[in-house]
Amino acid sequence: MNDAPATEDLVWHRVHPVTPLVRGWTVIAVLLVVVGQQTLNGLPEGENLLEGDRWWMILLGILAVGLVGLGYSALAWRMTSYAVDDESVHLRTGVLFRQQRRARLDRLQAVDVVQPLLARFFGLAELKLEVAGGADSGVKLGFLKEAEANRLRNDLLARAAGLRVGRERPAGAPGAPGAPGAPGVADAPVAAPGGAVPAATSAPPPLAPEAPEQPVTAVGPGRLVASLLRSGATVGLVLGVLAIAGVVVGTREIGVLFSALPAVLGFGGYLFSRFTGEFGFRSAISPDGIRLRHGLLETRSQTIPPGRVQAVRLRQGPFWRGPDWWRVDVNVAGYGLSTDGGTDTKSVLLPVGTRDEALAALWLVLPDLGTPDPRALLDEGLSGLDAGEHFVVSPRRARLLDPLSWRRNGFTVTDRALVLRGGRVFRSLVVVPHERTQSLGLEQGPLQRRFDVATFAVHSTPGPIAPKAAHLDSADAARLLDTQAARAREARAHAGPELWMRRDDVPLGERA
Amino acid sequence: MTDPAPETGPRGTGPFDPPGVEWTHVSPRLVTARLLSTGITLAVPAVGVIVLLVLFPHWWQWLVLGVLALLGLWAAVLVPRQVRAIGYAERDDDLLIRQGIMFRTLVVVPYGRMQYVDVQAGPLARKLRIATVQLHTASASTDATIDGLEPAEAERLRDRLASRGEARLAGL
Repeated sequence: MNDAPATEDLVWHRVHPVTPLVRGWTVIAVLLVVVGQQTLNGLPEGENLLEGDRWWMILLGILAVGLVGLGYSALAWRMTSYAVDDESVHLRTGVLFRQQRRARLDRLQAVDVVQPLLARFFGLAELKLEVAGGADSGVKLGFLKEAEANRLRNDLLARAAGLRVGRERPAGAPGAPGAPGAPGVADAPVAAPGGAVPAATSAPPPLAPEAPEQPVTAVGPGRLVASLLRSGATVGLVLGVLAIAGVVVGTREIGVLFSALPAVLGFGGYLFSRFTGEFGFRSAISPDGIRLRHGLLETRSQTIPPGRVQAVRLRQGPFWRGPDWWRVDVNVAGYGLSTDGGTDTKSVLLPVGTRDEALAALWLVLPDLGTPDPRALLDEGLSGLDAGEHFVVSPRRARLLDPLSWRRNGFTVTDRALVLRGGRVFRSLVVVPHERTQSLGLEQGPLQRRFDVATFAVHSTPGPIAPKAAHLDSADAARLLDTQAARAREARAHAGPELWMRRDDVPLGERA
Repeated sequence: MTDPAPETGPRGTGPFDPPGVEWTHVSPRLVTARLLSTGITLAVPAVGVIVLLVLFPHWWQWLVLGVLALLGLWAAVLVPRQVRAIGYAERDDDLLIRQGIMFRTLVVVPYGRMQYVDVQAGPLARKLRIATVQLHTASASTDATIDGLEPAEAERLRDRLASRGEARLAGL
């Protein structure tokens, strides 16, 4: 119950006082929705919930519950405080069950600044620090003033990166006065694009007014809508509407409409959340990693430090083939799988883009693919069939096991990464940097045994991607397993986290 | 196991037998453990059906009993072979685990990727003096479980894996 042991000379900060209001209003919103629904449901039976004297009782009830919620939120706010030191972020929360959480900055996987709709009205933002724990392992600091959140993010990223090159920087505690970074503008800890190494080693200033990031890709609303129209969910929606219309016209029973509507609305809801989540998508590269911004109602500004992306997947559905559009997803340890089970907007590196843009997104993660002609290799991986110059594919005898995509299943290895391709209808290309391999697996079922093929899998951190090459020739798979284990070991030994601040030495190159 | 016997591969062919790897096998007492737990699982519905059979005889109850008996027989044939197929090998930098006869899997876990090691033993396993060692990496899909180890071997493996993991620890 009592305060956690005071950690010596930490400066504890409170989050913004409006936080309870922003958090607590959802209770009232839910109640209003419930009452509204009940009223509407009752109307056909001639029962008006809001008739007579009852309406003010209901109003009073909502108000009371809202006040209790607000009171609890206020209490929770009082008990929440955070502190930052050179090595970690500390967070104290909980009213009855006190919790003190300490996240090490060198274990930081990603930093997000999230602004839900209501928080945007108040100019507030929540800072989410992702670490590679299980579910609910990150640290959420919220809500903070938007400028403060951005400043804190930059400071944390600088500390996390600065630890690699030495920690001769005691200044810059979050409470310390500093030049206010231009709010909204993504101000990175290191000024001067391209000059990060000297800047970092010679005590980088805690704040930089300049935004050294270079924009890479932006997805316009027109493209996003077009891509959603060409998605499977739209097909489902149209088919569903047609089917319902057909049944209603055929049976002349209007009741069907109500029973079948929720299923159709599901598709619509999915499309809507995709649209709002991926609206205004922009990506950029900066010394402290990949920057992603997106969102219509709730905006999210993500920073994924270099070397934190565990796997990349380029994917294309059948309806995207005409314009040659691709979607790029990533596995980042802290993000995990989406908890709401629906659209996962956190792990998206590019919601939709041309082949060039998709390859630029891949380049953000892996500037050097470790092969003399990356474009030819990737083209073969994206749309190639059968064994080509680069890829080793399933043997012809696998066509009975996998009649659709046996000509696509394959892999190739470069100096830096393992590239797996697959899928004939839904084409996909997965790139796993060697040093990000967790463990490797080989599987063989009775049928596969009969055809002397095996499935090779790379185990990556939880996320949308499960890298796999299906139905490889047994000998190929065994050799790949063996050599890949050695390559991953080699890459791990040489790729250290100190690369972080050297990252932007790589020339930014052409926009693919 | 107290005397790790190098395998001379009965089915030692193909991708699941990398050259130069000496597999260590698990305790044969795992067969007992697995058969016992399968037996209990099958016995519970069987007893229920037999009670019904005594009270309200009907032909389908014989059918259910027959199916249960077949399942038991199937397990009795399969389990010893499955247990014999389990093998693990400690290489310099990684641990190999092999499992299965029909659905075969081989997992390679680098020591440097290990996040933590679990040693577990339920009441039945303790009675039979076997334990389970499970390796966890940052990936949820890593299924690296070695069942049926002698307790001493399990402890040795745990400590060895932990120390090797520390020596080769890397970031994610």
